[in-house]
Amino acid sequence: MIQVRGLTKTFEGGKGGKKVVAVDHLDFHVMPGEVYGLLGPNGAGKTTTLRMLATLLKPDAGTASVAGLDVVTKAEQVRARIGVVNGGMGLYDRLTGREILHYFGRMYDMDEASIDARIERLDGLLQLGDTLDRKAGGFSTGMKQKIVVARAVIHDPPVIFFDEATSGLDVVARRNVLDFVRAYPSEGRAVVYSTHVMGEVEELVQRCSIIYQGRKIAEGTVAELTAQTEARNLEEAFFRLVSRTDTGDVSREVPA
Amino acid sequence: MRWRHVWDVARKEVLSTWRDHRALMSNILLPLVLLPVIMLGMPLLLGGLFERETTTVTQIGLAAGSAMPAELRAALEAQNVELVEVEDPQAAVRDDDYPAALAVPDDFAERIAAGGTSAVQVYSKVGNLRSELNAGKLQGAITAYQQEVVARRLSAEGLDRSILEPVTITTVDASSEAERSSGQMSWLIPFFIAIWTLTGGQMTAIDATAGEKERGTLESLLVAPVRRSEVVVGKFFATLTFGLSASFAAIAGYLLGGWVMRSIFLPRMGEEGNSLVTMMGGSLSVDARSILLLLMSAVLLSAVVAAVLLGISLFARSFKEAQSYIAPLSFLFVIPAVALQFKDLIGIGDTAYMVPVLNALLLMDDIVKGSAELSSILVTWATLAVVIVLLLVFAYRNFTREDVIFRS
Repeated sequence: MIQVRGLTKTFEGGKGGKKVVAVDHLDFHVMPGEVYGLLGPNGAGKTTTLRMLATLLKPDAGTASVAGLDVVTKAEQVRARIGVVNGGMGLYDRLTGREILHYFGRMYDMDEASIDARIERLDGLLQLGDTLDRKAGGFSTGMKQKIVVARAVIHDPPVIFFDEATSGLDVVARRNVLDFVRAYPSEGRAVVYSTHVMGEVEELVQRCSIIYQGRKIAEGTVAELTAQTEARNLEEAFFRLVSRTDTGDVSREVPA
Repeated sequence: MRWRHVWDVARKEVLSTWRDHRALMSNILLPLVLLPVIMLGMPLLLGGLFERETTTVTQIGLAAGSAMPAELRAALEAQNVELVEVEDPQAAVRDDDYPAALAVPDDFAERIAAGGTSAVQVYSKVGNLRSELNAGKLQGAITAYQQEVVARRLSAEGLDRSILEPVTITTVDASSEAERSSGQMSWLIPFFIAIWTLTGGQMTAIDATAGEKERGTLESLLVAPVRRSEVVVGKFFATLTFGLSASFAAIAGYLLGGWVMRSIFLPRMGEEGNSLVTMMGGSLSVDARSILLLLMSAVLLSAVVAAVLLGISLFARSFKEAQSYIAPLSFLFVIPAVALQFKDLIGIGDTAYMVPVLNALLLMDDIVKGSAELSSILVTWATLAVVIVLLLVFAYRNFTREDVIFRS
C-alpha cells in the first residue's frame, strides 16, 4: 500500500546557514489492512515524512509511493487517495460542520448526493450530531476533531495519515479517535499513525518504526521491539534504543 | 484549470467573509456612507453656514461715534450688518463679543468731505471662518462706499469713472461642464475608491492565506486533489469580490449623494452656498459612459490590489503578522491619491499612465473631470492587465514554495 525507500529531506536554517537533515534515508512499507506506527519524539522527522507522503513536501532523495502511485510524479492522484488528520488542523470558524464536509467533498469531485450519503454514514461512525449544523467557531476541541476526522475521510480514501491526532483532546474525544483508527483498516485500507505516545502505539499498530533524529533506528511489532531490547514495555524499549543510538552502541535497525 | 474547483474555493471564501459582520460594515456600509458625508455633507454644511452668515443680520462692533458718514452706514447695513457701539474694537473681537469690528477715526467724515483721505480698521480673527466672513462683509461695504466717493469726486471734476479703468479684464472659464462641476475635491473619488479597494479585500485575503495557515486549514486544503493554481485563482476572485464591493459601494454612495444634493439641497441654497458646494465638488455628476469607465478602472485596480494582498499575506505566519505587512501598502495608495490634487502643478506626463496604481488613480481623476483620453485609458488598462497577470504568477509561486507554505 505504501512503499518508502531512502526518503530524505533537508531544510535550510541550521546554525551558520547549514542544512538540517529532517529525514535521513528512511525505508519502510505498509501493507493493506495494516495500522503502521511512526513513533518518535518531537522533531524526529515524523511530520516531515508524512508531509512528503501527502505530497506537500518534495523529497530531496529517495522514492515513495502511496496506493501504487509515486508521490512526486503522480502527486494529484496520490492526494485523491489519502486523508490526513493532524492534531493542529483547524476548521473554518464561520462554516458549519456540514458546509465544511461539502466543501471538501467537492474538492474530491464528489456530487452533492454522494457527499450527503457519506456524511450520514460518518455521522453513524463518529456521532457527528450537533457538529453538522453548528458553526465550527463554537465547537469544543472534541467536536472539532470529529469534523477534522470526517473531513479527512469524506472521500473514503484507501490510506489515512494520522499525525499526533489526539494531541490536546480530552479522554472521550481521544477514545473516539483511537476507536476510529482501529476500525478503519478492517475494510482493507491502511493507516499510518504517527505519535510520541507509547500507549497509543501499543494499542493500535501492527508494526511500527522508531524514528530518531530523522533516521529509523528500529522497526517491528511491539513484541519484537521489546524482545530485541529485553524491555518490559515499549516505552522502555524506546529509551534503550534511543540511548544506544546516542552512544553509537547499536546497529541503526532492528530487523522486523 | 478546473473552474468548478476555482468556484468552490471562491464561494467558500466569500461565504466565510460575508458571515463576519465586520465585513458587512467595512465593505458596504462605511464606503456607502463615508464618501457622501465627506464630499457632500461637508460642502453642504459649509455652504449652509456661508449662506446663513450672508443672509442673516449680524451684530458688528463699531468704534466711530458721530464720525460715521450716513452713506457708509447705509452701505454697511445693506450687507445685513447691525452696528453696535463698542469702546475697544480689538478687545470686542478678541473676546468673541462680536465676529468682526470696525474703527472709524473721528475726523473721517470731515476729511472725506474735504476731498482728502482717511483710514479705517477692520478687526477680525484670521483663521476663524465666521470672523473672516463678516470682515469680508465690512470690506465689501467700505469698497462700495469708496467707489461711490470716487465716482462723486470724478463727476465734480467732469470726469467719467471709466477713466480709472482703461482696460477691463474678463475671465472666461474654459473648463468642461464636468471639470467645472467636479470642483477642487474631485481627487477624493479615486482616493476613496483606492482606499476601499484595499480595505475591502484585505480581510478576505488575509483570512484566506495567513489566517488559513494560522488555523492549520491551509494544509488540509492542499492535501486535497485541488491544484495550487485553482486555489490561488479562487482566493483571488473572493478577494476581488470584496475589494470591488467596497469600491462599488463608494461609487454608489457618491452617485446617490450627488443626486440627493442636486435634486434636494442645491435648489434651496442661495448663490453663495451654491458656488461653494460646486467648488468643493458637491454638484458633481458624471454621465453613463464615465460611470462605466470608472467601474472598469475600479475592477482593474481591485484586481491588482487583490493579487498583491494574496501574494504578500501568504508570507505571514498569522493574521496579525499579515496586517503588519499590508499596513505600509496603504501609503502606496494614499500618497499618489493625495498628490492628485496638485497634479496640474506637478506636471504629470503621459508616462505616468504606465505606472501601476498611480495610472488607475490618474485615470479615475480624469474620468471624473470628463477629460480622460482614449490613449490614457488604453495604456492604463493594458498596464494594469499585465501587472495583474504578473502578480498572480507571483502569488502562485508563493503557494508552491514549501518555505512559504510551512513558514513557522
